[in-house]
Amino acid sequence: MFCSKEEAVAMETELLRDYGFGRQQLTEMLGHACATAITQVFPLASLEKRQPTVLVACGPDQNGCVGLACARHLRVFEYIPTVFIPKRSSDALHQDLRLQCERMDLPFLSYLPTEVQLINEAYNLVVDAVLGPETELASVGEPFTGVLQTLRGLKAPIASLDIPSGWDADESSSDGISPALLVSLMTPKRCALSFSGAHFLAGRFLPFDLQRKYELNLPKFSGTDAVVQL
Amino acid sequence: MLGVRALFGIGLLVTSRGGSVLTHTGACAHVASNIYSKDLAHRQACTMANTIKYLGQEEAQHIDEELFNEYSFSVDQLMELAGLSCATAVSKGYPLQSLLKSPPRVLVICGPGNNGGDGLVCARHLKLFGYAPSVLYPKRPNKQLFQNLTTQCEKMDISFLTELPEWSQLFITVSVTQLCFPFGLFIFILKDEARVEHGCPDGFQPDMLISLTAPKKAANHFKGRYHFLGGRFVPPALEKKFQLNLPPYPDTDCVYQLN
Repeated sequence: MFCSKEEAVAMETELLRDYGFGRQQLTEMLGHACATAITQVFPLASLEKRQPTVLVACGPDQNGCVGLACARHLRVFEYIPTVFIPKRSSDALHQDLRLQCERMDLPFLSYLPTEVQLINEAYNLVVDAVLGPETELASVGEPFTGVLQTLRGLKAPIASLDIPSGWDADESSSDGISPALLVSLMTPKRCALSFSGAHFLAGRFLPFDLQRKYELNLPKFSGTDAVVQL
Repeated sequence: MLGVRALFGIGLLVTSRGGSVLTHTGACAHVASNIYSKDLAHRQACTMANTIKYLGQEEAQHIDEELFNEYSFSVDQLMELAGLSCATAVSKGYPLQSLLKSPPRVLVICGPGNNGGDGLVCARHLKLFGYAPSVLYPKRPNKQLFQNLTTQCEKMDISFLTELPEWSQLFITVSVTQLCFPFGLFIFILKDEARVEHGCPDGFQPDMLISLTAPKKAANHFKGRYHFLGGRFVPPALEKKFQLNLPPYPDTDCVYQLN
């Protein structure tokens, strides 16, 4: 079930090229599913602050796109998400999703405070959609290194989408971000083998023969659920 | 091949868990008693639904335009969410375990417009939910969006029929078109119908109606058992602007049962 970076990329390419899916579609379904997982682990009633505030940090690539869609669905689910985009993206889909969040009146942070206390006090939870498995870790520089450092120091719980930002998709990490919730997209990555928090799988759209081809052996989703707990 | 007109004579067929084929009236009475003896609290909660706005055709079009122009949504996105809502409503109204065959056969009839696209998405999600959908898609628009949706279905082993099947056992028909096929339990998805204000033609008795985004005026004529609201993506500001008074969707559900 746990796949490598290459397999994950190959699967996504097949979905887009051979199965007729569009990036917008997949991103929407994944964002919606991630929001659903978040509501299961951090239900509204369980949040401690007066307002159900959530900070959603979105990087410039596909991971960030899923984060933006997730933020919008969290708003529909009555959370109060604030979006933080460390670096503008040149990706058209990212720009569209960002616009949708703006039109939904989601507030945007122009910078991330380095004082973690400010974040801990303002937000019940931080959604980490900064870096995904496709990121070349060696090339990661500012502002991301700063953001990751801040995230590492947080007391507020973190929900990471696909892989915790800064982790290598194929290996476990000892000094990276330690999220309370990991939502794997389509299939868990190898690094998740060492993950010890709450682990959910999103992406209930994978065609059966694709699952068989990559020998994914995914668990069954129940009913009409968009996520399954691993 | 069963022609459309010939089907009007068959009426509605419903099977019960016992496996025998009953007539519409008999089965309806049986199932109806289960429905109406349900949770009274649920029905009382649904009185909120009485204040929901029922849209006229022009208003519905304005809302769609705003969603695409002001709110920057794309057709792909909203169609995916709409189709998911439809499949979810079907599985709530006709749960897998209540149906005779396993997996239960569902016929999805897709019309030539965006409604048809909703149907294709719905078929795909129904397959994922454990149903066995087939699609009848007689008139396909020459747009990439619909071609992609068709490919997605085909790659999920959803067969595209060239004519109406001769199924005699229970199946569900999801009709996303202005044409009506009154066989089986029957769901009619109403979204952008040209005849949105005037209701459905005679001889057409859907069992379930799934209103997308907000109910349309034609839904006032709906006499079936289930009326669901789907399309849980309306931005709060848009809802306020058009005074939609949408009910609170439960939890993370993408459908709300109006009756």
